[in-house]
Amino acid sequence: MKKSRAALLAVLPLLTFLAAPAAHADGNVRCNAGPREAWKAIADLRKKAWMEGWTVQKTQIEGDCYEVYARTESGQAIEAFFHPVTLQKLVVYRRGREIYRAPGFSPP
Amino acid sequence: MTGRFTRPLFWFALALPALLMLSDLARGAVLAMDLLHPSGELSVRLVIAAMLAGPLAGVFGPSRFFQGWLAIRRNLGVAAFGYAMLHLIFYFVDMGAIAVILDELALPSIWTGWLALALMAVPAAISFDQAMRKMGRHKWKTAQRLVYPCLLLSLVHWLLLDWKWQPAAVHLAPLAMAWAALLVVRHRTRISERNPAA
Repeated sequence: MKKSRAALLAVLPLLTFLAAPAAHADGNVRCNAGPREAWKAIADLRKKAWMEGWTVQKTQIEGDCYEVYARTESGQAIEAFFHPVTLQKLVVYRRGREIYRAPGFSPP
Repeated sequence: MTGRFTRPLFWFALALPALLMLSDLARGAVLAMDLLHPSGELSVRLVIAAMLAGPLAGVFGPSRFFQGWLAIRRNLGVAAFGYAMLHLIFYFVDMGAIAVILDELALPSIWTGWLALALMAVPAAISFDQAMRKMGRHKWKTAQRLVYPCLLLSLVHWLLLDWKWQPAAVHLAPLAMAWAALLVVRHRTRISERNPAA
């Protein structure tokens, strides 16, 4: 392999990383949900996700948020964060890319 | 690697996490999506373990320890490719349909993974003595260097999916430090060769 091609292959990941949109920090979504006694039940969360038309794969508590791994009606793999008290859908990611954000919600 | 039982034992140790993952999946203890991260991370760790041997041997000089590590380097690389393939199998099981896999192929977090796997396939496919003899040492070594862009793409794949830079940085740090140390050693050696009296 020529050196120039090898250099291009090495630079490609860096360029991809730089070109990707920046506001994706799904690793640290905060919901400011307060004490857990006030949180709605996971069953309610599953129902809420079902009403979105999703097929739920897994639900869990992530930090102070409810997190849902699901498939949309078209089969897209998504990861969604819900407020545990209001069950408002706050932010949805598809493979790390933000595809929905509730109006006024700003993850830190 | 010497010894009648050493090689099978070593390969068994490398295969053990895969067997446990497959057993968990078969028992229904985990979902395929739960195994995506461990299989991918183990693949990255094995690649790094394979890549660390060269620069560290260059820094610390020849010793039995590094000779042993260099001797198993190819095995580590092939095992890394094995775990990357297992990662792909878990991805296929999780997605369940070719159409949805193709649908997300254009996402940067996904195509970087596919490209990393394609780049890794080349060194893995020629990781045996006969291929080295046929290609010639220089060509063979050049092809093996594809693991560098492969590793970078794997880390970008990881970062774009998780958006947590710390785990990827922790994995890259030992390799970066080993290469930095090797460059310092080479620089010093060059200076001392130019000024033998110093």
